[in-house]
Amino acid sequence: MSERHFTTRRGFIAALGFSAVSLYGAWAAYGAAPLPFGGRKDAAPEPDAHGGHGAAAGMAPEEFRFEHDFFVQKYAQKDGSVNPHADADAHGGDAHGGHGHADAGHDHGAELTSVEPVDVYLMAQKFAYSPDVLRLKAGVPYRFRMMADDITHGASIQLGSASRIIRLRPNVVTEQSITFTKPGEYLVYCTVYCGQAHDAMHGRIIVG
Amino acid sequence: MDSISTSVARVGSRSRLTARVAALPGTDKALLALLFGAALLALVLGLVGGFVTALARAGALAFFPDDAYRLLTLHGVSVFFYWLYLIQAVLMLVLAAAENGRGLALRPLAWTGATLMLAGFGASEWISATGTPLLYDGSPELAADDPRSVGFFALGYLLLSAGLVASAVSGIATVLQPRLRGEASEFTSIGFALFAWAGFLVVSAIAATNAFLPGLLWSLGAGPFPADHGTEWHILFHNLHYLPLMATVLVWYVLSEQLTGVKSIHGARLSKIVFAAYLVFVPPTSLYHMFLEPNLSESVRVIGSLLSLFVSVPTLAAFAIIVSSLEASARAHGATGFFGWMRGLPWRNPAMANMGWAVVNMMLGITFAFVLIQEKLAPMLSDTFFVPGYFHFFAVGVLTQTFLAALMVILPALGGGTLWRPELLRCMPALVTIGLLVFGAAGIAAGFMGVPRRVFDIGYDGIAPAAWPVLMALVGIGATIFAIALSVSVYGVVRTMLSLRPSLEQAPVVDWRTGSRGVGAAPAWTGPLSVAALVAAMYVFTIVAFQLIQSSPIIAIGGGHGH
Repeated sequence: MSERHFTTRRGFIAALGFSAVSLYGAWAAYGAAPLPFGGRKDAAPEPDAHGGHGAAAGMAPEEFRFEHDFFVQKYAQKDGSVNPHADADAHGGDAHGGHGHADAGHDHGAELTSVEPVDVYLMAQKFAYSPDVLRLKAGVPYRFRMMADDITHGASIQLGSASRIIRLRPNVVTEQSITFTKPGEYLVYCTVYCGQAHDAMHGRIIVG
Repeated sequence: MDSISTSVARVGSRSRLTARVAALPGTDKALLALLFGAALLALVLGLVGGFVTALARAGALAFFPDDAYRLLTLHGVSVFFYWLYLIQAVLMLVLAAAENGRGLALRPLAWTGATLMLAGFGASEWISATGTPLLYDGSPELAADDPRSVGFFALGYLLLSAGLVASAVSGIATVLQPRLRGEASEFTSIGFALFAWAGFLVVSAIAATNAFLPGLLWSLGAGPFPADHGTEWHILFHNLHYLPLMATVLVWYVLSEQLTGVKSIHGARLSKIVFAAYLVFVPPTSLYHMFLEPNLSESVRVIGSLLSLFVSVPTLAAFAIIVSSLEASARAHGATGFFGWMRGLPWRNPAMANMGWAVVNMMLGITFAFVLIQEKLAPMLSDTFFVPGYFHFFAVGVLTQTFLAALMVILPALGGGTLWRPELLRCMPALVTIGLLVFGAAGIAAGFMGVPRRVFDIGYDGIAPAAWPVLMALVGIGATIFAIALSVSVYGVVRTMLSLRPSLEQAPVVDWRTGSRGVGAAPAWTGPLSVAALVAAMYVFTIVAFQLIQSSPIIAIGGGHGH
């Protein structure tokens, strides 16, 4: 055995099995390594201190439904879209900031000078989103609260050369902090098969 | 000098494997032929379903939505469950019987297992073709108003699971028999791998029962609605798609010895450790499938992300053992040149060609698998066409081609016939790989752009990017190429199975068992360089994915991406 070249020795061969672990280096370079060394942080920088987590802690499905209905009613526009900045726009308010919907009770969008993210509610159900057209603003942080009302859906956002996949479980409120950095019209679509009209399930986010 | 001395085996000589398969009792041969036939039927059904699905996605065919999703269901059920599991069951049985040398033990149990699996096959195909489309994971929430579909769908998988357990127990008893008879003091590396494989089949069957029994009970009015089917499915699914990979590696071991006479130069113990490593590394790494689940805790997310890095350890180690053993043996026979030794392999044998191209496809598949399993990249790629884009390298390029290679060696010995047109069959794996490259490149690009994996009409009233249908058309072209090439291979295997004319002419093999020079004395760089190239490719595509995230016009936190 001692005459063997090192490339044909057992230890070397066994070590090759662990080669893919070295990918940790690439993860660390982008702050996506799971352990502290190499830096565990989000690949995209967090715009505010809120951070985020999958399921919105403490929000019950019933509470979500109530807040969603209120959100849609309050900010509904004549063209059928929903614009959480409607009040502020009407009063010439600041385009940036906005008050967290839940934190502000029901006074949505009334204090647009705050750095708090603006709350947006999105409900997924067979085979549509509510609201199906959202009007938002570039550079404003939004706290998307989303939930599937019946069965599992996706609420994914097409972003040109990439996308953001969001999976929604029924009666689980999912929260994402999202800031659009460029104006445009973004497709929102279901990426989890949900039944016969799954292909038609989509909405739009119009960012001005 | 790239030639290798004394390399060609005598024409008409039978290897230990084929001689033992040929000598199996008639009742075992009948059982094995039945299962091989059923597995090939499942492959054909899955291939047709997949091909039509790809053409429909490309816009070349139009279906009503329910029919389209029934086709997709039929494709997934046929290939992922019945082709991959029937072929695993029968390969496990035939290799165990050959290892034993006296046929199958607990023969009635093996027949019972086959009967149950075939009953499951019938039930699953029927309900997939006629019921509410549930796709291959059979999520009950899709048919909450149709308990009949949920019940029969679950019943099919449960019968398959029960049959797998019965077959696995027969297989375990078969490989244990030489030891119980006192004819062997320990397992060979193949015997140990068969033992572990059969054990893993039992574990997977238990996981399948855990996932699908609640659906059957609910459909019968004997249990609550299975609301947590998704979690149970994730646990099952992870085992389901790594078990065929373990089977593939075992088949590579067997075929390497069959085609070149080479056994591992690193000893049976290392091979046994590697096969045992599947049991150690695969189950705990299942967490990465759940990265998109909104209620996944942060600690589970961190652990899952870390463990995912280890999922390829046994497969890469086994690859390194096989390649190093082959290269060292070739060099001991006088092969020179950096990669020149590979020219000495019996490439004119279709089994060798299938196995060789399977390795290429494995490298491609692993590269992209490691992009998908990254916790931060999962929210860009999961549920998109990236997933079928990369996993067809595994499902078709690696698993199916490897199992077909095994059939090309075993069926002539089992039935006493002749391999159908080996000169034609040996060209197909390259063609399959070309098709997969087109399919995979377009599919992976589509996935990066967000094309959903389970949507037939991706127009979205004209809002979707113009590139989407173009990429899906390319996917359809790639699917057409590999479907045609694979069909030729399958046809050849079926003709071989039905062949009754024995022939002295056999597909070529080489004999590198003993060399004039010391085995392992010369450097063997092919394995390390292949792995280095693999890791470099992983780095490149991981960086591309991170760059795409950073350049996208949103900053997002949360929803399966939390910290």
